[in-house]
Amino acid sequence: MHVLTTPPFAGTDRGQQLFQAHSGGVWRAFTLVFALAFTLGCGATPPAYFRLNMVEATKQHLTTQQEEQVSTVLLAMFGTPDEPATLPEMGLDAAKLKLAAGPVRSDIVGRKNGLYREHCAHCHGITGDGLGPTSAFLNPYPRDYRPGVFKFKSTERADKPTHADLLRILHNGIAGTSMPSFALLSTAQIDALAEYVKYLSIRGETELSLMRAFFELDDDAAGKLPQTREFLVTETLAVAAAKWQGASAAQIAVPPMPADIELVDSIAKGRTLFYGEKANCVKCHGVTGLGDGQANDYDDWNKAIVEADKEVTGGERRAQEAQTSGMSPEELKEHREQIAWLEKFTRVLDGDALKPRTIPPRNLRQGVYRGGRRPLDLYYRIHAGINGAPMPAGKGTIPPEDIWHIVNYIRSLPYEFDGELGADRPLVARDRF
Amino acid sequence: MRSRLLGIIWSLVFLAVPVLGVATFAIAPAFDIWLPKNVSEHGPTVDGLFMFILVLTGVVFVVTEGLLFWFLWKYDAAHAQGPATYRHGSHSLEVVWTILPAGVLLFLAIYQMNSWADIKMRRPAMSPTVEVVGRQFEWRLRYPGRDGMLGTPDDLFIVNDLHVPVDEDILVQLKSADVLHSFFLPNLRIKQDAVPGMKIPVWFKATQTGEFDIVCAELCGWGHYKMKGHITIESREDFDSWIEKKYAEQESTQPVAEPSDAVAIAD
Amino acid sequence: MSTTTIPSTHSAADLATLLPVRKPRPIADFLSTYVFSKDHKVIGLQFLFSTLLWFLVGGLLALAVRWQVAWPWSDVPVLGKLFAQQGGQMSPEFYTMLFTMHATVMIFLVIIPILAGAFGNFLIPLMIGADDMAFPTLNMLSYWFMWPAFFAFGASFFVEGGAASSGWTSYPTLSTNVAASPGSGMGQTLWLVGLTMVGVSSMLGSVNYMTTIILMRAHGMTMFRLPMTIWAMFITAVLQAFALPVLTAAGFMQLADRTLGTGFFSPEGNMVNNTLTATGGGQPLLWQHLFWFYSHPAVYIMILPAMGMVSDILTCFARKPLFGYRPMVYSIAGIAGLGFIVWGHHMFISGMNPALGITFMVSTMMIALPSAVKTFNWLGTIWGGRIQFTTAMLFALSFVSMFIIGGLSGIFMAATPVDIFIHDTYFIVAHFHYVLFAGTAMGVWAAIYFWFPKMFGRTMNEFWGKAHFFLTFIFLNGTFFTMHILGAVGFPRRLADAYHYETFHHLQPLNAFMTWCAIGMVTSQIIFAVNFFWSMFFGPIAGRNPWHANGLEWSAPSPPGHGNFDFQPVVYRGPYEYSVPGAEKDYLMQTDPPNAAAAMAAAAAH
Repeated sequence: MHVLTTPPFAGTDRGQQLFQAHSGGVWRAFTLVFALAFTLGCGATPPAYFRLNMVEATKQHLTTQQEEQVSTVLLAMFGTPDEPATLPEMGLDAAKLKLAAGPVRSDIVGRKNGLYREHCAHCHGITGDGLGPTSAFLNPYPRDYRPGVFKFKSTERADKPTHADLLRILHNGIAGTSMPSFALLSTAQIDALAEYVKYLSIRGETELSLMRAFFELDDDAAGKLPQTREFLVTETLAVAAAKWQGASAAQIAVPPMPADIELVDSIAKGRTLFYGEKANCVKCHGVTGLGDGQANDYDDWNKAIVEADKEVTGGERRAQEAQTSGMSPEELKEHREQIAWLEKFTRVLDGDALKPRTIPPRNLRQGVYRGGRRPLDLYYRIHAGINGAPMPAGKGTIPPEDIWHIVNYIRSLPYEFDGELGADRPLVARDRF
Repeated sequence: MRSRLLGIIWSLVFLAVPVLGVATFAIAPAFDIWLPKNVSEHGPTVDGLFMFILVLTGVVFVVTEGLLFWFLWKYDAAHAQGPATYRHGSHSLEVVWTILPAGVLLFLAIYQMNSWADIKMRRPAMSPTVEVVGRQFEWRLRYPGRDGMLGTPDDLFIVNDLHVPVDEDILVQLKSADVLHSFFLPNLRIKQDAVPGMKIPVWFKATQTGEFDIVCAELCGWGHYKMKGHITIESREDFDSWIEKKYAEQESTQPVAEPSDAVAIAD
Repeated sequence: MSTTTIPSTHSAADLATLLPVRKPRPIADFLSTYVFSKDHKVIGLQFLFSTLLWFLVGGLLALAVRWQVAWPWSDVPVLGKLFAQQGGQMSPEFYTMLFTMHATVMIFLVIIPILAGAFGNFLIPLMIGADDMAFPTLNMLSYWFMWPAFFAFGASFFVEGGAASSGWTSYPTLSTNVAASPGSGMGQTLWLVGLTMVGVSSMLGSVNYMTTIILMRAHGMTMFRLPMTIWAMFITAVLQAFALPVLTAAGFMQLADRTLGTGFFSPEGNMVNNTLTATGGGQPLLWQHLFWFYSHPAVYIMILPAMGMVSDILTCFARKPLFGYRPMVYSIAGIAGLGFIVWGHHMFISGMNPALGITFMVSTMMIALPSAVKTFNWLGTIWGGRIQFTTAMLFALSFVSMFIIGGLSGIFMAATPVDIFIHDTYFIVAHFHYVLFAGTAMGVWAAIYFWFPKMFGRTMNEFWGKAHFFLTFIFLNGTFFTMHILGAVGFPRRLADAYHYETFHHLQPLNAFMTWCAIGMVTSQIIFAVNFFWSMFFGPIAGRNPWHANGLEWSAPSPPGHGNFDFQPVVYRGPYEYSVPGAEKDYLMQTDPPNAAAAMAAAAAH
């Protein structure tokens, strides 16, 4: 390109030399580039792995060795995402787990494997921690199975869902959220996925118990968990698994809807109860039923992060205010360890947790019912509340016929067009368009 | 001078285009890679048009690519004698190959106007059979229920599982809850974008029973591929009993007795 | 060939006497010569290098897309490291980002700038006999406006939520609401910024080209003696000038929707992912109309220059005049004019009034006509020729061959009832890849091989050029031809996992085959890259006119110096006087003064 600054010259016309190949040099350059291209690309990604519950680990002040202990125990008991392991105490079907686990592939009979990774992992995460790549972009966040808390079920508030409850959620999805309906998968596939969810949940709860157990250890345990089967399995894993197995027994007994009353009257009664003191629905769901009563509460999963955040902020403030000058060497060491722990927790909360969101009470005028729209489902919600969410249990406070009246009232809400709740409130009308 | 062989090779490379092109279209149906089974009344019109255009363009394809090959073969500098033909064009040829394609294209356009109007403009006078709302990432369906009106308490709500009676006019009211989706029924040759803020009618008549796919055909986010639905076309009696069954389930006040935990509960 | 005796104003001796002595300023001189140069040739090469680099990026993005389509949820090479915890399986929103950015990069950072920016810039003054563009500073700005776009699009990959992921078409409300898609956050905002920058660059360029072509032609260069390349560049510039403002306006409106809380494109009460859009009262269809009003002419912007260049290359290597020069010019004008009234064919299914489906169908069917006329004229050009199978010729021939496929497949889409079925399926993907890649990109390669000697003073290696052609031709057809039949099955576009549907299960082996062809195709470009850079430094020296072509640019030195011509160019004839009967050579350059005997013989023979 230097020719541009020097006066132009007349090039010689050497048309005959046009087609001479400079093969040698070109081959060498070609090989070099090819080799470079391949080395960049080659090397398969290592297999998928379960991620440790870093928020809990940091909260419990676990050392790296203690974290490794937990990982080892979990690996021995539960296996890997590609190769799940089971113990009889889990009460899980290994064949179903095999169908759900591992990378997406077809086996020799053409049956699809890796169902969890194909359908669930990108939201719920490989570990079932609700931290898949897509999770940050969803509203509400996908469920974190690890605490073993599930919202929409047919059992009492504190109990686990039955297997049939899980199947129902998979089959119908959760209306108004990003959880889709998997009705178009086969029965066997939905079954396998439900089993795998239980597996991940039991694993998560076991992990939490193990991490919390360090606090209970005697000093002579030297920060090591007992390696006995009795401790690891019977006292930890089996406790979580047993709750799953006992779920069917905890199903709510639903009395029939009162037959001796007209629907219109039932709705009127329900309205009175809705606005009444006993049920006090309007406190959260609002006088208009639009869910604008209050919006300051968190569900359990977000609450844990909010509290962790508060702990970190409070700790940081205290650490800043501490007078390092008057401290003894041990106090100074503790102070520095505290600061290091706070920094670690901040990093973990940034990378391993989603930004907390408040949970708005449901807008009952929309006719979108997350846990199912049958009157039965609404009965379950009012009777047992919603586990993990601020919706309280009506059991004991509200007698069953009253629950049915409230259910009927709620089901009429999307169709109720009072004078003041008209078309000018677009969130009200069923038909927003 | 370059050998004649190279010229032959290059000409044959260009000959491969029409040969393999036609071959691909000819053998694809044998591998079940062709238009899916059609079960709608206007489907044969769409398919017939497709095939007509295929034959027409196929002929043009073979002729033009064939000519290209032939000219490369014949007028290769390595073997042709004498200088090239010094010709700037031909007025009459220009007229012919302007008027003829124009006529064909205009005919094609006018010929199809009626079919388009039938499928998209001449809506049957009836109330909607079902309302389909596209939502990230599912198809939410609402049947009007016994009173025949949408927006009343006896509506039936279903997700992803569309049922329609066979041999009857069906009118779908298509809406979107959030972003653009597209209601695509491949086997019924129906496609219509669902636009937020609009209520768009879609109509068809199914001529055979069976279970087919509903596909979302407009990018709607990360779950665009997940928006799979099913359309079941069945007899009027089966359809009515299905509606009854689903409605009863929707209104159930007692849990269904389960034989075992492993059975999926239909809803 | 003889030159005139008019002294050049740029000879070394003159410079020495005319210019005052000044202090050498190495850095400033380097910058103004090679970086912020106002010389159209340097600017053209800057465009060329930048766009070729983005071509590589776009191609790699395409490979990632193809990988997922063929083997969904498997461990992706290289990119799998980003998803290590999942064992290398990409997430679905990542896939939406991949195809969005593949299309965006290819359209706005590769095809449009390489045709107008690289070749338009380099060739226009040379071919019309001017010493530079009408507005050299504006020209330089037109290149440097691309850099903010490069940064905007490049940076968008690294922001939270990733790069734009609502398709290159960016339909609201998916693109306007950050809750609708992760890439609709900062990624989409940066996308709109980048788009605006490219638009400004194109508009500056188009003003320059129109003015230069109208006002700065050499003596004797009448409009109907212009080579087809120039006609194509001229009409493309007109297209850009009229269509771009609409896109820029639409881009601003979407930016306003996203940042200022306006509601041009979101309906009242629009809720996505449980998040309410700030305002409403708008219509998603409005964006589609505005977008396609530009983007349809854009597709002609993306092919007309290639058509022009192919005409020049075909005539040169068939040693024959262009068949039907005036019909060819009128066809280009017809394509451009009709191109403004067909945009609705992208929206047949969109929910716009179906009556418009009739009007747009008629205009779309008619736009096939000028393209057909051009194809017949190209065939007429090679008929009766003396064909030289050089690399440039092979690519130019493949342009014609592949354009026939791309153009004919368009007729299916123009037929509205058929479009009901094939809209948003792989039939559409096949169509535009045939016209854009098998058509324009092949035309671009033809142009590179053809004008490389003029740009760098050396020729590219012919053997490796033909190897590049052969492999690319085979692999591209393997990748894209079967997409037509995939479309016939109804296989939809933009699906991260089509085998979710049982009806498409059996198409996985075919998709795997297509992906292997795509990998082969991208790998074959290594040959081109090596050839390109090697030949730039070590290729055989080319003279002024290695191809014995007729255009004005071939009478300038290779490469031309500042000011282009070392003589005053005067034009005596049209650009396609090959194999003139009675002439001693088989080509007669535009600048060759008329020889009395030859002229009489030519007149007698005609």
